[in-house]
Amino acid sequence: MLKIRSLDVAYGGLHALSGVSLDVERGQFVAVVGPNGAGKTTLFKAISGIVTPVRGEITYNGKNLLAVPPAERAHLGIAHVPEGRQVFASMTVMENLEMGAYTRRGQERWGELLPMILELFPILSERRGQLAGTLSGGEQQMLAIGRGLTSAPELLMLDEPSMGLAPTIVDAIFERIHQIHTQHHVTILLVEQRVVEALETCDRGYVLETGRVAMEGTHKTLMSDERVRRAYLGM
Amino acid sequence: MAGKRRAFMEQYALITIFAVVYLVIGFLVRNSYYQLMMTLVLIWGTMGLGWNVLSGYSGMISFGHAAFFGLGAYTVTIAFVKFGITPWLGIPLGVLVGVIAGVLIGIPTFRLRGHYFALSMLAYPLAMLYVFEWLGYQEVSLPMKRENPIAYMQFTDQRAYMVISMIVMVACMIISLHVECSRFGRSLLAIKQNQPAAEAAGINTTRWKMYAMMLSAGIAAAAGGLYAIILLVVTPQTVFGALVSAQALIVALFGGVGIFWGPVVGSAILIPLAETLHAELGHILPGIQGVVYGLAIIVIILVAPDGIYWKVRDRIMARRTPAKVGAQPRLAEQISIAADAAPESRPAFGQTILQLDGVSRSFGGLKAVDDVTLSVPQGIIYGIIGPNGAGKTTLFNVLNGFLAADKGSMRFAGTEISGLKPHEVCACGVGRTFQVVRSFPRMTVLENVVIGAFVGSKTDDEAEPLAYEALERVGLADQQAHALAGALTTKQLRLMELARALAPRPKLLLLDETLAGLGHDELEDILPIIRQVNRESVTIVIIEHTMHAMVKLADHFSVLDHGRLIASGTPADVVRNPAVIEAYLGKKWMHRAKDQVA
Amino acid sequence: MTDWQWLLIDFFQALAAGLLVGGTYGLMCVGLGIIFGVMRVVNFAHGDFMMLGMYVAYYLVTGFGVLVFLGPYVGPVVGAALAGPVVYVIGWLLHKYLISRVTGARVISAEAEGHYAQIILTLGIALVLANGGLILFGSTPLSVQTPLSRESWEIGLIFFNQARAVGFVMAILCAIGLYLFLTRTNLGKALRAAADNPIAAAYVGIDVDRSHRIAFGLGVGITAIAGGLFAMSQSFQPYIGFDFVIVMYAGVVLGGMGSILGAFWGGLTIGLVQQMSTLVLPYQLQNTAIFVVFLIIIFFRPQGMFGRVWERT
Repeated sequence: MLKIRSLDVAYGGLHALSGVSLDVERGQFVAVVGPNGAGKTTLFKAISGIVTPVRGEITYNGKNLLAVPPAERAHLGIAHVPEGRQVFASMTVMENLEMGAYTRRGQERWGELLPMILELFPILSERRGQLAGTLSGGEQQMLAIGRGLTSAPELLMLDEPSMGLAPTIVDAIFERIHQIHTQHHVTILLVEQRVVEALETCDRGYVLETGRVAMEGTHKTLMSDERVRRAYLGM
Repeated sequence: MAGKRRAFMEQYALITIFAVVYLVIGFLVRNSYYQLMMTLVLIWGTMGLGWNVLSGYSGMISFGHAAFFGLGAYTVTIAFVKFGITPWLGIPLGVLVGVIAGVLIGIPTFRLRGHYFALSMLAYPLAMLYVFEWLGYQEVSLPMKRENPIAYMQFTDQRAYMVISMIVMVACMIISLHVECSRFGRSLLAIKQNQPAAEAAGINTTRWKMYAMMLSAGIAAAAGGLYAIILLVVTPQTVFGALVSAQALIVALFGGVGIFWGPVVGSAILIPLAETLHAELGHILPGIQGVVYGLAIIVIILVAPDGIYWKVRDRIMARRTPAKVGAQPRLAEQISIAADAAPESRPAFGQTILQLDGVSRSFGGLKAVDDVTLSVPQGIIYGIIGPNGAGKTTLFNVLNGFLAADKGSMRFAGTEISGLKPHEVCACGVGRTFQVVRSFPRMTVLENVVIGAFVGSKTDDEAEPLAYEALERVGLADQQAHALAGALTTKQLRLMELARALAPRPKLLLLDETLAGLGHDELEDILPIIRQVNRESVTIVIIEHTMHAMVKLADHFSVLDHGRLIASGTPADVVRNPAVIEAYLGKKWMHRAKDQVA
Repeated sequence: MTDWQWLLIDFFQALAAGLLVGGTYGLMCVGLGIIFGVMRVVNFAHGDFMMLGMYVAYYLVTGFGVLVFLGPYVGPVVGAALAGPVVYVIGWLLHKYLISRVTGARVISAEAEGHYAQIILTLGIALVLANGGLILFGSTPLSVQTPLSRESWEIGLIFFNQARAVGFVMAILCAIGLYLFLTRTNLGKALRAAADNPIAAAYVGIDVDRSHRIAFGLGVGITAIAGGLFAMSQSFQPYIGFDFVIVMYAGVVLGGMGSILGAFWGGLTIGLVQQMSTLVLPYQLQNTAIFVVFLIIIFFRPQGMFGRVWERT
């Protein structure tokens, strides 16, 4: 479904990504792990069009994604749940979800998706009239995921859903993510710092280290590899 | 030094040639209307120079220079009309009033930044406009003095005014030239590019901005005073009106920001254009002047946002140096040979140079730095690592005075540094670099570093050798010193910033993610340089979130997570510390690791 | 009546006048507030768009007399309302061809430099509009002719100028309409989303540049309506914009920059300050009072009196 080939991204002369290739097949759960600064978020921004790559190609369902303007990409069925949640703080929970459904596909399926999301995250139902900026970090993360889901995506991209959250909440959120994958059959591309949580159930994993793919494989091969540890700790 | 003097002489010669040619043309012109126009060019050039001293150099855009212009004009007029004081004295008096107004306006207004500064500056002249109308000065004429007119600056020949205006403008140009080339102008430029970095480099930003405001206001008031004498009548609208402020800004922006030729060029092009159109078409198109100014500024912002001068100069420079500073040979070849085996054979470290006790800082409910206690021995490379958002940069900001600590004490070389301002911390001998390098792209590498050297030198002449020495230490002295900073690679920029921090010869360097984002080869170039700097008795504290390069560099690790110090020790110990592994890889990894062992 | 009774009447008269003027100011400020809120652009030319609104209303009602058939009471109000769409189109075009080149999603993230480019560009537009206005419309002060401006309703001992009262009601209606648009419609919500977090807005498929264009058009259009309403009771000339831009900024800052609803209350307060100042200050200094209040607010409470802090500092 999503195919990335030798992608290079640079900010002001610094190489954030070099020669990254990556594949996501329909229905898969793909995880990208790596320490901070490895280029994970940059990879997502390139897919969403917020940064423009120097070289390389990104195709989505056979279509050249780099030729599609950023705001159009959501309409193709790609939902990006950004790092640090980025909810619309001055808008209510409900309005945030509505904004997720800004795309045509989201509006068409609003009637069925909203109950599904509220069931997945009951707390959002409780807080539907509250301003998103007043939610706790975990609730905001749930809202951000919910907002991604209301667009009826084919591909849900999650950028560090665990960032800055307490461990129990992280566990709950990962549980929901797996549920979204297995029960609702959404293809998932996850970027995470926490190796185990991300790799545990993925179909395919990539380890990024300073902008390069250091390793790729199934979760079994990755979880046991000493090199993962070294990617994080340097020795 | 000789080069600098020659550059001065060149500029003086150019100014002289310009003034002489201009006056010769002025004397050949017979039509008194054109003579007046040529005088107005000089007055608006002066006004633009005044605006440029504050807004062009320091980047704090003022929409309110009409306040000073108007005060200058009204001081001269009222002194003449009410008290019979000759404009020869009235103009200096107006300058004085302008300077005082500058101080009074500057004290409160400098607390504001960006939009707020620009907008509140706009309010001052408009408020004055209404006050002067209310005071009954709607239209004040300067009376003719029949006896001894020269004593009252009244001449039958327009060209006399042109000479006086030229003298004033040339004086302002020379003042501006000296400002540009001195620590004054360099400091303002540093403030414009990055105020925090300027403070960290030891620049007392409040003081320099105030000086700039005073000088700027004084020049604007002088222009206003001349204007009153030449037009012989002042109204609040013509001297305090928004168009006056706009015109000051426009001539400077059009001609070139931050360079004294800019306002002169802008004025010489725009004033005749607007005045001629006004004279030719004014009766059918009454607002044609304003339209011309408006269009000029729209076009310039879209085409050459820094003004004509810079556009032309960049063109010429590009033609002269077709190739950029090419890929230079490895910078640190000799050093790297000597320093390769560095981390192993380290001497014992000296006594504590930096001691933090219970330092805390929170934002709202979030504890960004939470009760951090650490001591840094002299001569060490001390690494502080931790995941994103662990509070590393906040800790640096507290250390160098950008942020006040909520609690705790910080002692550097025996003196308490908590509560000091950034430039004072810098003056104590603490240098710092930033995560995002901010250079001054139109200045050469050497000039960039000189800004850092000011705090370590009494006179401007001492600063340059200091800067050169710093550049030598980082290996940028030979080919790159006179290249424009804008042409450097990221690695070279990082080195330049390092040199800027090194220039005042600090005892302690705080490096904020100097290694982040560098590739393998670039790291191999930079690491030996840092080690070498350290060996030359500079203690280094460096923060990074990735460990890779750090394990090769640091003698000692402290790990921050959620604002707290969770581990401290040698690199080898720290990366095996369970708390650290958990912070980086998560709790589950730890469980698995345990399971696997079991 | 005794002295203090007169004083009381004066006080309430000023209060009433302030309220009526303030309603229209409030609407102007809302227009400016939308632009700043959504685009983070300081629109220096905003007063001149208001001036355009005044002239559009004038030419529709009095100049060309297109709306004469609506009679002297309804005509001016409709003229003011029509100024909105006309100026919307002008604003939309200016944004598309000029302003978007120095603003937009990219500039929002790159702080310093872009800031000045847009504020100076709008200054240029202000100069062209004001002086172009002088060429097109002449410098003679004009006003929209309506019998309303000469008549008053008397409630108790307080006079309510009819033109201003009608303007007040219309301004309130427009502000409510705008509020409903922003909170009830998808497009309105998308504008707010683009204002709140432009990057996240792009992630959910909102075209941020288009949102900006609409917000700019809407902002200047609304202010043009306020100008048209104001023109019924106030004479104007092409340079009126410069005076008003500070008045409007005072209102927007007072309301909290970025808060659209706050801008209305800010404008209302400015109207009150202006009119009430005449109780203690000479008439000519009423605008000086606004500037002083503006400076005081900016120094002591730059986040405004109403609404939350949006501006990242």
